[in-house]
Amino acid sequence: MKNFLMLLARNRLALGGLVVMGLVVLLALVTPLLPLADPDVTDTANRFKRPFSEGALLGTDHLGRDLLSRLLWGTRLSLAVGFAAAIIAATLGAAIGIIAGYYGGRTDNIIMRGVDMLMAFPYILLALAIVAALGPGLMNALIAVAAVNIPFFARNIRGITVGIAHKEFVDAARLSGMTDARIILTEVLPNVIPVIVIAMSTTIGWMILETAGLSFLGLGSQPPQADLGSMLGEARSALITNPHTSIVPGAMILIIVMAINLLGDGVRDALDPRLKSGALSRPMPATMVQRAGPVPTSEGDTLLALRGLKTQFHVEDRVYKAVGGVDLQVNPGECLGVIGESGSGKSVTALSIMGLVASPPGVITGGAVHYKGEDLIGAPYEKLRSLRGDRIAYIFQDPLATLHPLYTVGDQLIEAVRAHHLFDRKKARAHAIELLTSVRIPNAEQRVDSYPHEMSGGMRQRVGIAMALANDPEVIIADEPTTALDVTVQAQILSLLDDLRRERGLAIIFITHDFGVVAQLCDRVAVMYAGRIVEEGPTKTILDAPAHPYTARLMACVPELGQGRRELAAIPGLPPVVDRLPEGCAFADRCHKAGDTCRQGNIELVRHGAESLVRCVAPETPPQEAC
Amino acid sequence: MTGYILKRLVSAIPVLFGISIIVFVIMAMIPGDPATAILGSYATPDNVEKLNRDLGLDKPMVQRYFIWLGNMLQGDFGRSFSLNRAVLDEVLDRFGATLVLAGTAFVLCSLLGVAAGVVSAARQYGLADKAITFAVLLGISIPSFFLGMMMILIFAVKLRWFPVSGMWPIYGARDLSALISHLTLPALALAVVATGVIARLSRSAMLEVLRQDFIRTARAKGVHERSVVWRHALRAAMVSIIPVLGVQAGFVLSGAVYIEMVFQWPGVGRMLVDAILKRDILLVQGGVVFVAACYVMFNIAVDVAQSLLDPRIKT
Ligand code: SF4
Repeated sequence: MKNFLMLLARNRLALGGLVVMGLVVLLALVTPLLPLADPDVTDTANRFKRPFSEGALLGTDHLGRDLLSRLLWGTRLSLAVGFAAAIIAATLGAAIGIIAGYYGGRTDNIIMRGVDMLMAFPYILLALAIVAALGPGLMNALIAVAAVNIPFFARNIRGITVGIAHKEFVDAARLSGMTDARIILTEVLPNVIPVIVIAMSTTIGWMILETAGLSFLGLGSQPPQADLGSMLGEARSALITNPHTSIVPGAMILIIVMAINLLGDGVRDALDPRLKSGALSRPMPATMVQRAGPVPTSEGDTLLALRGLKTQFHVEDRVYKAVGGVDLQVNPGECLGVIGESGSGKSVTALSIMGLVASPPGVITGGAVHYKGEDLIGAPYEKLRSLRGDRIAYIFQDPLATLHPLYTVGDQLIEAVRAHHLFDRKKARAHAIELLTSVRIPNAEQRVDSYPHEMSGGMRQRVGIAMALANDPEVIIADEPTTALDVTVQAQILSLLDDLRRERGLAIIFITHDFGVVAQLCDRVAVMYAGRIVEEGPTKTILDAPAHPYTARLMACVPELGQGRRELAAIPGLPPVVDRLPEGCAFADRCHKAGDTCRQGNIELVRHGAESLVRCVAPETPPQEAC
Repeated sequence: MTGYILKRLVSAIPVLFGISIIVFVIMAMIPGDPATAILGSYATPDNVEKLNRDLGLDKPMVQRYFIWLGNMLQGDFGRSFSLNRAVLDEVLDRFGATLVLAGTAFVLCSLLGVAAGVVSAARQYGLADKAITFAVLLGISIPSFFLGMMMILIFAVKLRWFPVSGMWPIYGARDLSALISHLTLPALALAVVATGVIARLSRSAMLEVLRQDFIRTARAKGVHERSVVWRHALRAAMVSIIPVLGVQAGFVLSGAVYIEMVFQWPGVGRMLVDAILKRDILLVQGGVVFVAACYVMFNIAVDVAQSLLDPRIKT
C-alpha cells in the first residue's frame, strides 16, 4: 500500500489529477456554506450578464440566475449522482460477478449469458430505454446509468472471483464447514475489493459524463434543479449569442473528467508491474551505443572481428554486464562455435554484432565489431540496415516466435530479398521457391504459400535458414538454431548448414550450449562464462583436453554424443549474477581449484599452447601438452 | 469462409432474442396500464381498446412478448402516435442519417486513432508520443456534446467555414458537397472520444508487438524501420486492435445521440430523445430494438474481418 502511494505520488500527472479532484470535491462539499446567491432565483432584468461583472463573478444565465452559484450547486449534484451511480453499479455488478464466479457451472453460465446480452447493446440505447420506461428525471437517469454499467463490473469481478474460488484457502474454508455466504464475505470479498475500487476509479469519470449527458438531453435533472449537464443543455439555445453560459458548465465537466482520468491512469500504472520493470518499452531500430574509452582499431583483413565488445543492460539504476569485453573472429568458410550456459552472454554477444539487442534496456558500452575492417558499432542506422540480412544474416532459435505469424513464408522470404534488391515480385517469388528447395523443403511451390503455424518445427527452421540465405550473405550468425528441435531433425539441420558452409564459403558463428553440435560443425570454439570468454581454441584441442576448469566441468557433464541429453547441467552452484560480478575469476565460487590468487585483480585471457587461449591461473593442462 | 459467416449468423440468433427480451422487460416496467401509457394524450377509449387488441396488452406477459415478437418479425413495429406513422418507416428514414454520421465518424476514428497509436508507439517517449498522449487525454475527457457546441461556436459562427447545423441546406441542392460541409463538424466531434480510446489501445498493442521476436527477425533481415513498424508490427497489432474497433463502434453509435441533438442532425438518436420526451413508447421500443440488432450484425462483420486478418483463426 505504501509502495503504491509512493508510485502514485511519483506520477506528477496523477498527482495533479488528485489535487484538482480534491479541490472540486472540497468545493462541492462546502458549497452550502459559501456566501453564494441563491442558484434558483431568477432576475430577468439581469440576464446574460458577462463574466466578471459586478455581483456575478461568472455572469448570469438566460433567466438572470447567478452562474457561479449554479455552477457550484450543479457540480455538487453531478458529482453526487456520478458517485452514487458508480457505487450502485459497483455493488450490484460485484454481487452478480461474485455469485457467478463463486458458484460456477450453470449459475455462472446463465448469468454471464445475460451479461453478454446486455453488453451487446450500445450502452446509450439501454439507458434511453430505461429512461423511456421510467420517465425522465434525475433519479431515473441515475438508475439508467448505474444499470448499463453493471455488466462491466459483473464481468470483471467474475473473472477475479473464478481465480479465487479455486484457491486452497477457499477449499479449506469449505472443508471446515463454513457456509457459502460466510466464505464469500470473509474469504472472497476482501480479495476482490481492490479490483472493485480500481474498476470504480476508472469508470467514475464515465458515469459523471453519462449522467451529465442524459441531463443534457433533457432526460435527467428537471428544472429548476440543475446539474452540469442540464445547465449545458439549457444554455445551448443561447450558444451563439451568449457562449459563456455554455462554456462555464462545459469546462467544469471537462476539468472533472480529466482529473479523474489522470488519477485513474495513475492508479492503473502504479498497479501494473510491467511498467515498473520497463518491460513495456519499445526496442529501438538498433541497439543504443554509448562507448566510453578508445575504440579499438581494425587490424588485418579478418572478415568479421569482435574487439573488446561490451554490452550492458541498464534497468532502472542497476547495470547488468551481459558482455564484458569479448574478442572473436571468423573468416570465410570457417565455423566458430560459442558455447556457454544460459545467461553466459553468448546470445547477447551474437545480437550485439548487428545492433539487435533490445534497447532499452541494452546498451553497447565499448569495443568494436569490424566487418572487413569497418566498425559496425558506431555505424549509422542506414549502413547497419543495408548489411543486415544482406552480408550478415541471422538464424534464430524458435522459428515459431521469430517468423511473422500472419504472413506466408513466401511473403517473408520475398521481403528478405526485396529489402536489398530491386526484384519484382514474380522474380522474388521464384527466388523464394528456389531458396526453399535449397534448404531441402519438399513441395516448395506449395509450401511457399503456407503460414508458419502450418509447418512443423523442422520445416520452420529450414525456412529460417532459407531466409538467412536469401541474399547470399558472407556471415551467418546462428543463435541456438537447433535447440527447439528433436534429435533427428537437429542432425539434418546441422548437416544442411555444414553443406552450405562448404558450398558457399560461408562464415558461421554458431551459438549453442551443446558440445555435440560444436563437435559436429565447428572448427574453433569459444567458451563463455559470465559475459567473458574463458577459453578459446581449435575444437579438437578443447574437446580432447580442456584447459579451463569450467570447460572441463562442462564436458564431464556431457554424456556420450548422440545419446540422451547433451546439455550443460549439473555443475554445482549457479553462474554469478552479472550485475554483481566478483573480483577476479567469475567462476571461483564454483571451482574446485579456486585459491586466493583467483579472487584478486583481473585474470587475463592468455595464450595456452599453440592455438588456444585460456583465462585461468591454474589451467587443467600444462601448456605444452595442449597442442 | 461462407461456413464461418453462417455459423456466426446462427450464433447471433440467441443474442437477438435476448435483446428483444431485455427491451420488452424494460418496457414492461412502465407503471400503470400499458395501453394508457403507450397512448399518453392519445388515450381515447377507442384507441385503448384497439391497442389492447392489436398488441394483446390484456393478455399475460409471455403471450404479449410473443405477439410483439411475431409482429416485429413480419416487419410490423407498431405505430407512432406522435408522428402518426409506422414505426419502422420512421426508424429506417432516420437510421440512414445516423449511419452517414456514425459511419463517417467511425472511419475517421479508426484511421486517425490507429495512426496516432502507431506513431506514438514508434516514437515512445519522444515529442510526438507526448503530444499525442496529451491530445488523447484531452480527447477522452471532453464531453462530445460540449466539444460539438464549441466547434459550432468556432468553426461555424466565428470562422464561418461550415454550416451551424442540420444535414442539408434549407435552400439549395442536396448534393455531396453540401452533405460534406454539413457532415464535417458533427462527424469530427463524434469521432474525437473514440479516436482517443483507439489511439491509446493501439499504442499499447503496438508496444506489445514491437518487443516480439519476429520484429527482431524483420530487423535482422534488413527491413526498413518504417516497414517494420507499419507492416510487421501493425499487422500483428491489428489482431488486438480490431475487437477494440468493434467496441468503439458501439460508443460512436451512442455518442451520435448527443451529436445529433447538438447539430440538429435528423438521425435516430434525436428521434429517440424526442420520442421519450413525448412518451411515444412504441417508437422508442422499435428504434432501440432495430439499432441494437444492427449493432449485433456489425459485430459479426468485425469477427469476420478478424478471421480474414488472422489465418490462425479456424474458419
Ligand atoms: S582462475 Fe582459479 S577459480 Fe578461476 S577457473 Fe582457474 S583455478 Fe578456478
